[in-house]
Amino acid sequence: MHTLKGTKYAIFFGLLPALIIYLGIAVVPIGMSAYYSVMNWDGIQPMAFVGIDNYTEIFKDDIFWMTVKNNVFIMLTGIVGQIPAGLFLALLLNRKMRGAGFFRTIGFLPVVISSVMVSLIWGMVYNTEYGMLNSILSSIGLESWRQNWLGDTSWSLISISITYIWQNCGLFMVIFLAALQNIPTEVNEAAELDGATGFKKSMLITIPMIRGTILVTAVYSISNSFRVFDLIQIMTGGGPAHVTEVMTIYMYNNAFMNMRFGYGSAVSVLILLFSLIVVSIVNRVAKEKDA
Amino acid sequence: MEKKSLTFKVFVYSFLSLFAIVNVFPLFWMVVDSFKTEQEYAANPFSFPKILQFSNYSKAWEVANMSTYFVNSIIITFVSLIVTVLLGALAAYFLARFQFKLRGFTYALFLLGMLVPIHATLIPIFMIMKEINLLDTHLSLILPYTAFHLSLTVFILEGFMRGFPKDLEESGVMDGAGVFRIFWSIILPITRPALATVIILNFIYNWNEYLFALVLLSSSALKTLPLGLSNFVGVETASLTLQMAAITIALIPILIFYLLLQKQLVNGMTAGSVKG
Repeated sequence: MHTLKGTKYAIFFGLLPALIIYLGIAVVPIGMSAYYSVMNWDGIQPMAFVGIDNYTEIFKDDIFWMTVKNNVFIMLTGIVGQIPAGLFLALLLNRKMRGAGFFRTIGFLPVVISSVMVSLIWGMVYNTEYGMLNSILSSIGLESWRQNWLGDTSWSLISISITYIWQNCGLFMVIFLAALQNIPTEVNEAAELDGATGFKKSMLITIPMIRGTILVTAVYSISNSFRVFDLIQIMTGGGPAHVTEVMTIYMYNNAFMNMRFGYGSAVSVLILLFSLIVVSIVNRVAKEKDA
Repeated sequence: MEKKSLTFKVFVYSFLSLFAIVNVFPLFWMVVDSFKTEQEYAANPFSFPKILQFSNYSKAWEVANMSTYFVNSIIITFVSLIVTVLLGALAAYFLARFQFKLRGFTYALFLLGMLVPIHATLIPIFMIMKEINLLDTHLSLILPYTAFHLSLTVFILEGFMRGFPKDLEESGVMDGAGVFRIFWSIILPITRPALATVIILNFIYNWNEYLFALVLLSSSALKTLPLGLSNFVGVETASLTLQMAAITIALIPILIFYLLLQKQLVNGMTAGSVKG
């Protein structure tokens, strides 16, 4: 393409700094994780090769399977909560109306705030004694509905999922809004001439038109759900009795609290595999449906 | 469209208002309560404060070491941001404007990073930092922040630069400018809109990051805002109003940033989130 002198070297030296940092800190460690995962290692003593022992121990650990179950719960509530809600809000906002910008601004706000702040704020909302949620329930006469939202084993994971949905809903809303605004106006006009309006138009015309976006957001929502850490670490630390513990927390606790770096690495390899597998399943299912 | 019934309009607005209230109320409630005395708050979490307790704020600022955390967050966020954007733009330039054997491979390699959960690299990064004696330094965060955000940065900038007409560089070549000169004086200036997106995204991600900070930093003099804040709340459990004041302080800059740049931010996030 170019006939500049010394271009080869220029390309090399131009890409080199980014590549070194990227490979050294983001790519090589993946291989290192795989290597550590077959070792017994506390980070100080010499490593000892143990083959797949870490993996067999993980698979025998009931707590690990609980974390998998919790990840699946967050994944499902995430998909069910974020995508339809985001889509519905986008459909409502995708019209000429007063205040559309205002609602969009407010809707997106939680996305910008750090997970740490979201967790801290919601930790206070759920606070048993003085929390907003229990206070509201008391003030409207539903005293008996008060709960220890984060401390009660039957509520804590649900409470976390609600916060998780609250945090991300706005992102899905604006992604769908962007997709809806890309639909050519002729399509809408043609649909209306054919007598399709409102709900019918949404179901038959608009939603199928943005099917690709819906798929991408589904994949995004899934891979995101495997990365949840801050929210849970800060709100419950994975408790009570591991009922809100997810794989990332399990990995963190084993590696950095119990100093089992080999074992923790095996968990992190599994996190990577799980999320890749689920994402590729979704992709395949979606492709089959298209064919 | 004009014939839309009133009931429909009422439905739309009430639903959206409900949504807006759910989104804002927790924040609003926290800010209001951050101005109360502890007794007022315990008596009724929903009343408005009789006298605004600004002392909560000065006390939170002191007790929570907010100034230290702000300075650390600013240093780490901006250094990583500058390095990421400069190196990312340079890499994107060569990937977008030149043909060479490993171009496709290198590009795919960069994109791979968007698929990898950082958790899968956390333990090795901790070990690397320990090995090269960077554990518990600013640099121990700057390097991973740069490495992990290069993917998205290269992805967005490469896509943008590729769209430029081919003869763009020719005038530069005529003037005898070298490739780096062309990058700096011709390509970079017209990439400005995409650069803005990338800068905003990097800022938000770096500013909000928690997990790397949790693992790689231990001295409180180096902690970033999210880490310091979560520690403070974990320790200072006695005074909820003080906690609220501290969180509100941390909320203000990001709120201003958002309101000023919301349009670019929303666009950037939608571009950035569609990354598989």
